[in-house]
Amino acid sequence: MPRASKRKAAPASSSSVTAPPPDQSRSRTAKATSKTRLKESDQIDNLFDTYANSSLGQIDPEGIETLCSDMKVEYTDVRILMLAWKMKAQRQGYFTKDEWQAGMKALKANTLLKLVKALSELKKEAEAPQNFEDFYSFAFKYCLTEEKQKGVDIESTCELLKIVLGYQFRSQVDSLVEYLKVQKDYKVINKDQWMGFLRFCKEISFPDMANYDENQAWPLILDNFVDWKKQKSGGR
Amino acid sequence: MTSHLKEISKSIEAAQGESFLEELNRKWNDHNKALQMIRDILMYMDRTYIPSNHKTPVHELGLNLWRDNIIHSSKIQSRLLNTLLELVHRERTGEVIDRGLMRNIIKMLMDLGSAVYQEDFEKHFLEVSAEFYKVESQKFIECCDCGEYLKKAEKRLNEEIERVTHYLDAKSEIKITSVVEKEMIANHMPRLVHMENSGLVNMLLDDKYEDLGRMYNLFRRVPNGLLTIREVMTSHLRETGKQLVTDPERLKDPVEFVQRLLDEKDKYDSIINKAFSNDKTFQNALTNSFEYFINLNARSPEFISLFVDDKLRKGLKGVSEEDVEIILDKVMMLFRYLQEKDVFEKYYKQHLAKRLLSGKTVSDDAERSLIVKLKTECGYQFTSKLEGMFTDMKTSQDTMQGFYASHPELGEGPTLVVQVLTTGSWPTQPSSTCNLPSEMSALCEKFRSYYLGTHTGRRLSWQTNMGNADMKATFGKGQKHELNVSTYQMCVLMLFNNAERLNYKEIEQATEIPAPELKRCLQSMACVKGKNVLRKEPMSKDIGEEDAFFVNDKFSSKFYKVKIGTVVAQKESEPEKQETRQRVEEDRKPQIEAALVRIMKSRRVLDHNNLISEVTKQLQQRFLPNPTEIKKRIESLIERDFLERDNVDRKLYRYLA
Repeated sequence: MPRASKRKAAPASSSSVTAPPPDQSRSRTAKATSKTRLKESDQIDNLFDTYANSSLGQIDPEGIETLCSDMKVEYTDVRILMLAWKMKAQRQGYFTKDEWQAGMKALKANTLLKLVKALSELKKEAEAPQNFEDFYSFAFKYCLTEEKQKGVDIESTCELLKIVLGYQFRSQVDSLVEYLKVQKDYKVINKDQWMGFLRFCKEISFPDMANYDENQAWPLILDNFVDWKKQKSGGR
Repeated sequence: MTSHLKEISKSIEAAQGESFLEELNRKWNDHNKALQMIRDILMYMDRTYIPSNHKTPVHELGLNLWRDNIIHSSKIQSRLLNTLLELVHRERTGEVIDRGLMRNIIKMLMDLGSAVYQEDFEKHFLEVSAEFYKVESQKFIECCDCGEYLKKAEKRLNEEIERVTHYLDAKSEIKITSVVEKEMIANHMPRLVHMENSGLVNMLLDDKYEDLGRMYNLFRRVPNGLLTIREVMTSHLRETGKQLVTDPERLKDPVEFVQRLLDEKDKYDSIINKAFSNDKTFQNALTNSFEYFINLNARSPEFISLFVDDKLRKGLKGVSEEDVEIILDKVMMLFRYLQEKDVFEKYYKQHLAKRLLSGKTVSDDAERSLIVKLKTECGYQFTSKLEGMFTDMKTSQDTMQGFYASHPELGEGPTLVVQVLTTGSWPTQPSSTCNLPSEMSALCEKFRSYYLGTHTGRRLSWQTNMGNADMKATFGKGQKHELNVSTYQMCVLMLFNNAERLNYKEIEQATEIPAPELKRCLQSMACVKGKNVLRKEPMSKDIGEEDAFFVNDKFSSKFYKVKIGTVVAQKESEPEKQETRQRVEEDRKPQIEAALVRIMKSRRVLDHNNLISEVTKQLQQRFLPNPTEIKKRIESLIERDFLERDNVDRKLYRYLA
């Protein structure tokens, strides 16, 4: 970000020129911070370059894999997904330079070490009630790799559910995944159904599901799931 | 005066037995006359002094004195009451009493003031009557059947009314009748209605109009009386109806099935008309019950269409125009009860097509009349295609005339009759291959070029599976017959003009008719007694690939014209039924979606439950949509970005322009 750094340098220099001697200390710190900032954004860029595919100008799946192993985090760890969310990454498996910079800035991380530390904070942030729905919704969108793709196949949905909801809603996810694999009505899951899953986990008591009312506007797939589960446990 | 009256009272008290009342009556008359005279004498005082000084007028005073000294005298009061009640009781048990005397005494009480009448007589009269009727009703109900009991109750009721007119105050009528109603009817209603072998259900079954009418009139008087009758009638009707439509025996003959329904409807219409004075609430109960059970059987729409088909083919032959209208109107009544009117439409179309194409309809007017009725009931869209079918038939006639007019040289050869059907109006049939014999195919080609000459831009495809042919045949012993056969059968038979013997494979190759149809076609000509124009070796019932066929030289029939292979509408087989049902379901999906879009477009935002009920309401004229199916359509619309869920309240749907 050379342009930005220039901007930061300019005011610092102007203040150092016009200010009387007592301000000199300030100007010095100003200069210092701008220099640090300069360094920081450079570091961010450098970090980017470390993992980026030079011909693409982006970090590609291989790069992400390397990043993960460097951070000693699993590729499939939910925190990587959250990182993508923080970066507002558009394309699964790829980080553009802008996305990278924005994300790292938001996390206040300019070194790998700081990034690793920031990840656990990030997890808490994403799981916070006010943010989680947004993250959850992003996770689905992130899987729509083809243009005009509206649905995610069952297999991937199941994996995604485990990653994204497994921590908070273990038993629901286990049941849901089991059902999705045996049912034959749907081959892909769309956005509406995906959001329905979250709503289900949040609102419906489990495993009794006593407060589920199929006359409410639940997606049909959940009506079928509830029927299936109730039949399985023998009660009705 | 008081002392005078006291004297009188003593004398009345002294009166024995019968003469007690007479004595009372006489003395009362005397008293009245005296009072009148006194009043006349004291008239001036009556008119001037008394009003200004607020004193009781003379006459009134006289009455009060009578009341206090005679009627309320301890020895007279209860005796009077008891005597009166005794007389009433005697009359109720059948004795004749002196009604004139009763009238006078009662009138006396009334003259003394309504308080006297009520307190000293009426109140006790009602109590005693209640007791009397309680006992009597209990006695009757033990020994009578429902009809008899009702007769007795009615009699008693009429008696009481008569009693009132003869010697009681008119105002008492309503009071005494409610006593009778309560004791004799209201208290025993359930027992009467449900009485074994004679209760309401039996009356309904046996069309006992008189008894039913009586019950209606009596029960009408008591609270919930008619409600009770209605409820029992409804549950009985639903039960009988349910048995009717689910009885597997009945389901074998669709025409019988529908006839039974019509009979049942007629029966109840009669009952409601003759016994229940056309009471609207009963008519509604009848409608509800029919709606309930007719839809219990998913084949009702198909069967009703088959019934109509049967009537229009032969049943209405020779029936007068008015009677035809009556029958069709009755069928329309049943149609109205159907929930799945779109299923009916599908079958009706199929059956109509067969009727039109085989020329088997008894009366064009009847057909059209029914279409008009359907249009009135369901709107233009329902019948526009059906009308298109009629138009096609007419147009085809004109086309044929034009064809033969422009090809006079064809007059000698086989006569071709073509019906040109507009795809879309007629039920879709997949057309299959069939090699027409050369004589026919040449003719057909001529027609094709003629038609396309006048109608450029159209495409014709021959529906060989729907046609028929009349052929003249000469058999081995010289027997001549005219055979009416299907087009397929014609193709097969023509082959035998050039061959003595053909086996199945050869026939298949030559005609290119698809195997299942070909087999059925051969079966109908070789394996059916009376229609076996072909002979098959071996003589088995099934068609084997190696079977050989010959013309049956020994064929005989008592008729010159022999009909083989008709295209009669039949009750569908299971797989056919499934297919039709599937097509109906498929057709419903766009209708549901259209309704959804219509509603959401005008409402913009609507919650789930209201949306479901609106859609159901809009579509109920054609069918009852399944809420699950509606949900599926909503989700499909969400996926295609016609609708979205509200972000905050996920029960709300929003229309996306």
